[in-house]
Amino acid sequence: MARKTVRTIPQDRATMPTQAPAVRAHNFDEVALGFDLDNALLESERCLLCPNPNCVPACPVNIDIPGFIEKISEKKYREAYDILTESTLLPAICGRVCPQEDQCEGVCPVGESLEPVAIGRLERWIGDMAIKEGWRNIPPIQANSFRIGIVGSGPAGMACAADMAKAGCDVTIYEAFHQAGGVLRYGIPEFRLPNEVLDAELENLKALGVKIECNTLVGRLFTIEQMLDELGFDAVFIGTGAGYPSFMGIDGESLNGVLSANELLTRCNLMGATSFPRYDTPLGLGKRVAVIGSGNTAMDALRVSLRAGAEEVYCLYRRTREESPARVEELEHAEEEGIRFEWLTAPVEILDDGNKNVRALRCQRMELGEPDDSGRRRPIPVAGSEYEFEVDTVVYAIGTNANPIIGQTSKIALNKWGYIEADDNLATSIAGVYAGGDIVTGAATVILAMGTGRKAARSMKTYLGIRDTASVYEETPDSGGDEIFGINPAERSHVRIRVTGTELCQ
Amino acid sequence: MEDTRYLFRRNRTWWVKVSVPKALRDELGYDLRCSLHTESLDEARKARDVAVPEFRRRIREARASLQQTRACKEPAMADDESGFLILRREDFSDVTFLLEVEAPLLARAAEPGQFVIVILHEFGERIPLTIADFDRDKGTVTLVIQAVGKSSCEMQQRCRVGTHLHALVGPMGFPSELHADKVVCVGGGLGVAPIYPQLRAFKESGAYVIGVVGFRNKELIFWQDKFEQYCDELIICTDDGSAGIEGRVTLGLQAALDRHADIDHVIAIGPPIMMKACAETTRPYGVETIVSMNPIMVDGTGMCGGCRVTVGGEIKFACVDGPEFDAHKVDFDELMNRLGRYRGDEKAALDNWKKAAS
Repeated sequence: MARKTVRTIPQDRATMPTQAPAVRAHNFDEVALGFDLDNALLESERCLLCPNPNCVPACPVNIDIPGFIEKISEKKYREAYDILTESTLLPAICGRVCPQEDQCEGVCPVGESLEPVAIGRLERWIGDMAIKEGWRNIPPIQANSFRIGIVGSGPAGMACAADMAKAGCDVTIYEAFHQAGGVLRYGIPEFRLPNEVLDAELENLKALGVKIECNTLVGRLFTIEQMLDELGFDAVFIGTGAGYPSFMGIDGESLNGVLSANELLTRCNLMGATSFPRYDTPLGLGKRVAVIGSGNTAMDALRVSLRAGAEEVYCLYRRTREESPARVEELEHAEEEGIRFEWLTAPVEILDDGNKNVRALRCQRMELGEPDDSGRRRPIPVAGSEYEFEVDTVVYAIGTNANPIIGQTSKIALNKWGYIEADDNLATSIAGVYAGGDIVTGAATVILAMGTGRKAARSMKTYLGIRDTASVYEETPDSGGDEIFGINPAERSHVRIRVTGTELCQ
Repeated sequence: MEDTRYLFRRNRTWWVKVSVPKALRDELGYDLRCSLHTESLDEARKARDVAVPEFRRRIREARASLQQTRACKEPAMADDESGFLILRREDFSDVTFLLEVEAPLLARAAEPGQFVIVILHEFGERIPLTIADFDRDKGTVTLVIQAVGKSSCEMQQRCRVGTHLHALVGPMGFPSELHADKVVCVGGGLGVAPIYPQLRAFKESGAYVIGVVGFRNKELIFWQDKFEQYCDELIICTDDGSAGIEGRVTLGLQAALDRHADIDHVIAIGPPIMMKACAETTRPYGVETIVSMNPIMVDGTGMCGGCRVTVGGEIKFACVDGPEFDAHKVDFDELMNRLGRYRGDEKAALDNWKKAAS
């Protein structure tokens, strides 16, 4: 068959049915309903199956994208799923929440003249089919006697746990909340990622033999050091995330009606506050809500506010739509649902109604100046542009910082911002302890967190001397590391011997 | 015989009446009745055949809605596998009660000054509670709860020995710093129980310990023996003077400060208004004073920021930066205001629950 070219493939993207904006703005059901069979097949035809694909290296977990799409077009769906699960644990989740336009779809050659191949939607389609059909790829696992502790059940922890379990280790995940999933549970709302999808992926993890212990606050209940010394873990992975919300430090932030996006989302997604009083957790949202910031968390907060009954919901951002860090799809969905965007606007003060509740925001118009360190044009206040903007609820979605608990309770080295210091192999300052996800990288994406979780798993296997058959570890460990017992860390894997407690006694 | 089922006559007009099952009488009244606006029995019978099914439908609906409220009222507590077993319960008064819960790891890790988060049942909220006691040998932690809101009233009703809490997580926050030679430990209201492990720890660290605990009246005093065991002096204050000093705990604190010039540390736990008053009592003496914050929080792990308090002009999160702060720097007015954030919702939830429970 002649090689496909941009001219011979279907020119338009297959349509993805979505709930109508007017309907979905009042329910928590998923917005994008997913491809049907015909659309998926049509879309799969659009992939050029490049011999040297750009998309694979652009994927943080290097999914064989042309490989799985080709299987779809051959109608071998199960094989497409097999290819996906070689690289990703959570296709149904990543297909939904990855910023594909910055990754695989951003470098797709089809995108140079047409809309790029909808890789994320195809991935999701296969992921959903796997859940529906009950497919599971549990490889034959040869158990070894290593015990691995994972701190945090978010995407980084889940990915690391899966790889270590597949390598034969006895893996336990500890989660502080009463439900597992981390940001996938408390942060990302149901209309973007239904809980049943997350539950299905967690079940897959359990099928690998991973144990999940909720209600366990590592650091305070037992420390990282105790996990190694007393609880008998051979290696520990820390994926506690960057969940500590930032505030701006302007006047009026302690008024009632000012909250972080994290608080709003946790109350709604994890605690069921939108079903108050059936659920005990109240939400206390007003009628006119302003969300400050324009990232993905801001989009979630805006759209949750709308669904939770706010009449008017505004997004305030000091730059313009072009600089907005949110996924394009989320921005479009928010606009369609009737969220109002106030670009080039920054709050300078939150005003009181006399009873310590929010009455209004005092805002300032901005204009864009020279590019700053991040390459984005710096917003500069316009003199004399201050005005009052009436709202009764202000939600901060301007970023988060490292969770401090592990740092407070362990000797582990942190950088000056409180994130865990980790080398290129994600090893921390404590031997046997690895870290990944937002607690190392700062607030980032689900797929990046998964990528670091998998990378940490590779390092752990090297450290424990487990032969890694799944992938060859290419990067050489930092040779400048301290020698332990006269052994270079790069060679550790060749000499580490597992001795159990009883053998020691004998 | 003439068919007059459901019918009765008032003056000469026919009426129809269907009695309401006992369980629904609060909702619908003793019976459902209406006038048929006719004196003719035939017409009344026809009208009755329309009215009775309509009444029946209303009764059915009321029953369904009652069942639904009941279902809401009784969300499942946890089972043996995932829950936390309640081993002991003691009621100190009609609102204050104690739960001793099995949690060996938690008991091993807990230190004075720390708190836990409890969830009663599957739909429950996350309730922060200061640890009132812990027993490392038995592997239990003790919580003392005041039934004031919906969740705590529901706990009072449903937490029996042998039942399980849906979740219990902790210990959270920094433990207390226990460096003092002569210390006053003040507990009032909800703070009486949490002051106990502090007082014990201070005593065990070798300090001279003065306990000041406040109750409404003599009948509500609890744990006097436990306090006396670890106090060099114990000052009891009651609102009505039925035991100890008549008045608030600040009077007891004042008395202690006057009696001992060498007090170098005060810790006060209780309602914000009490802690504020204690801070003002010690301020002229310049004695280091610590209070334990109890703001509204969701996760307790530094994630939501709902528990932020202003201390010395800086925003702190009570859950991960506290819960104990320098009393002379805390903005109590802001704390009290923020505690009122959900007052309306809380009252509605309590009323709703009481109505469903009755």
